[in-house]
Amino acid sequence: MVDDSRARKLDGLIEEYARGRISRRRLAKRATALGGLGFVLAALGPGLRSAAAAPRVRPLSLASARQDTQPITEMTNEELLAFYDEVLPFKEILAMEAGEVGGSPLRIGFSQTGFNHPWRVEMIKSAQAEVARHPNVELVITDGNVDIRKQNNDVDDLLAQEVDAVVMSPVESAGLAPAALKVMAAGKPLVLLDRDVEVGKTVFIGQSNVTMAKGVGEVMVRMLSGKGSVVELTGLIGSSPAIDRQKGMNEALAAAPDIKVVATGDAEWIRDPAVRLMDDFLVAHPEINAVFSHAEESSWGAQFSIARAGRCADNILQFTHDASNAGFQSVKDGLFAADGNYSPFIGDVGVRAALMTLQGMEIPDLQDYEFEGKLYRLPDLPVVTAENVDEWLGKGWGDSAPPENPCAQ
Amino acid sequence: MGMQRSLPAERILGRGHPRVDAREILTKYGTVIALLLLVVVASFASPRFLSPVNLMNVLRQTAIVGVLGIGMTFVILTAGIDLSVGATLALSAVLLAGTLDATGNIWLAMAAALLVGAFVGLANGLGVTLGRVQPFVMTLGMLGIARSLAFLYTKGEPIPVLEMDFLKLGIGYLWRIPVPSIVFLALLAVAAFALHYTRFGRSVYAVGSNEEAARLSGISVGRDKVLVYVISGLTAAAGAILYTAQFAAAPAIAGEGYELDAIAAVVVGGTSLFGGQGGVVGTFIGALIIGILSNALNLMGVSPFAQPLAKGALIILAVLLVGRGRRS
Repeated sequence: MVDDSRARKLDGLIEEYARGRISRRRLAKRATALGGLGFVLAALGPGLRSAAAAPRVRPLSLASARQDTQPITEMTNEELLAFYDEVLPFKEILAMEAGEVGGSPLRIGFSQTGFNHPWRVEMIKSAQAEVARHPNVELVITDGNVDIRKQNNDVDDLLAQEVDAVVMSPVESAGLAPAALKVMAAGKPLVLLDRDVEVGKTVFIGQSNVTMAKGVGEVMVRMLSGKGSVVELTGLIGSSPAIDRQKGMNEALAAAPDIKVVATGDAEWIRDPAVRLMDDFLVAHPEINAVFSHAEESSWGAQFSIARAGRCADNILQFTHDASNAGFQSVKDGLFAADGNYSPFIGDVGVRAALMTLQGMEIPDLQDYEFEGKLYRLPDLPVVTAENVDEWLGKGWGDSAPPENPCAQ
Repeated sequence: MGMQRSLPAERILGRGHPRVDAREILTKYGTVIALLLLVVVASFASPRFLSPVNLMNVLRQTAIVGVLGIGMTFVILTAGIDLSVGATLALSAVLLAGTLDATGNIWLAMAAALLVGAFVGLANGLGVTLGRVQPFVMTLGMLGIARSLAFLYTKGEPIPVLEMDFLKLGIGYLWRIPVPSIVFLALLAVAAFALHYTRFGRSVYAVGSNEEAARLSGISVGRDKVLVYVISGLTAAAGAILYTAQFAAAPAIAGEGYELDAIAAVVVGGTSLFGGQGGVVGTFIGALIIGILSNALNLMGVSPFAQPLAKGALIILAVLLVGRGRRS
């Protein structure tokens, strides 16, 4: 029944790619070439393959309304239901009644990138909140450890557990194409969240970093009255969200020829490179009207630098992205002029899309796009500014406090 | 630490003795010439380069990697390497922030950081000596372990540090000089003294020049090697204190890649990766060279795509220059 050699070849390919021996393009090509009937057989028999490689079976985290406390988030069902009502911004998208779905128990696998960032935990929280509403639905959660190989193995394990559908947020687009191929070959619905793969899927659900950053950029253009000098602190150079956020900013600035980006630096999403860059930019440019940063952490770093340079009185406006609760608090405190609202709370939409597909219901507003499968583009959430921050306080992710505004002292 | 000057080991191993010879002068001048050249070029490239504010910025920006470079110099002088310093910095930083959060006691928090740093260094040292694991491999493994422990401790979320008294250490000034730079210079002075005027310092050079000869002449090579890794762990912890005080947060990804910056500072400063040659003053100059380059590139508005190229080329150029001095 099972074509082990194809499966082994596929594993070998993943291994080679993870070690950097073959390019993305080559991996995608060769993995697709492994398709056909033999590949389908291999993918259909993951249970047998996992049994052969016994040590690979790892304990998985199971969430369902039948247990009191859910794994990873350690929240009770009551807390999750309250969180669903009060916080989740996309609950009207693919809206679904609470209660049993269909007649039989359903099991959904959720392959998460890893739990290296609270954003990832919050995404799981939103998925668990959806599951808490449906007593016959279980969620099996795996932790990809931010590692291509681990996440590919996780998806194998989910298929071995005979989940009814897979929701996955891939650590990397090309590296998880083999996993996506396996799920599709097994005939199960595959919902991808936040990051896409170029091969087939049921639906990819994501927000756009480009339009979000464009929204932030438009607020910046408005607040600067169309003229001024801006410094840009990017996310890790070459990473796709950093490329997209830069693109969005440039689209907004295309309409404001009198706003000049006088310097750009790689702040790596974090605080310490931003401090160094801002130190230098402040020295190089006696007039800076705004900082356009791709991440809140970098913006806080820039603010330290501004205060230390004695430039608080310049009233340099900070435009940023991330949508954490700490960031919203900083908007409230006046430290940030605007915060782009890139929400992690999309796990519930993913679970609903999987449940709807399993019930044979049609997902509305699906689009065809450049890759195989369908696209569901989530609408941009409003940019959070002083005007609407009161509605958003507490509806972001994470629970840490923002640093005090060094310019407020 | 003893001050005796006529130990048998040093008499036999003239090379380790801090006497001044022509080669050493050339080696040292090579680095200084590179620094001066860079300062001249930078001041022409940007009129603001020589402004006091900017010079203070450079000094502050250099402090953390410079402090890591001090410990790294000790390790490299024994022909070892410590790839774990960036990760050790992160582990120390998150434990410091966690302790500070739990107790509010600055001294306890800093002690916790230093203890962790020393412990990681001790583990590295014992692995290299008792375990006979190559330093590259031992500290590469430790990089993973320490980084992972930092992630497990924080669960991925940076720990904010809001204790104002502690933050003064990172953002404050003393005699108009940034406090982190003063800490760096103070540690540098202690290290230079230890390397050149103590028995331990001289045996570090001896071990790096010729381990077998050092052992035969009665130096306890193992103990000294363990000590240099402990020193490197301690300077990583000192770096962690400066990091958390400067950036008011301890993320598990703190100090990622700092090990390479520290090694670059040591190498540009004229210390040989084969051990036995160089010193912490060179590392100070090396750290300044790298700091000034990065600062000047930002002042000149060089694209972030091109900056690593310039830094890479500079490292090779500086070592070429020093290498010429060493050969002639």
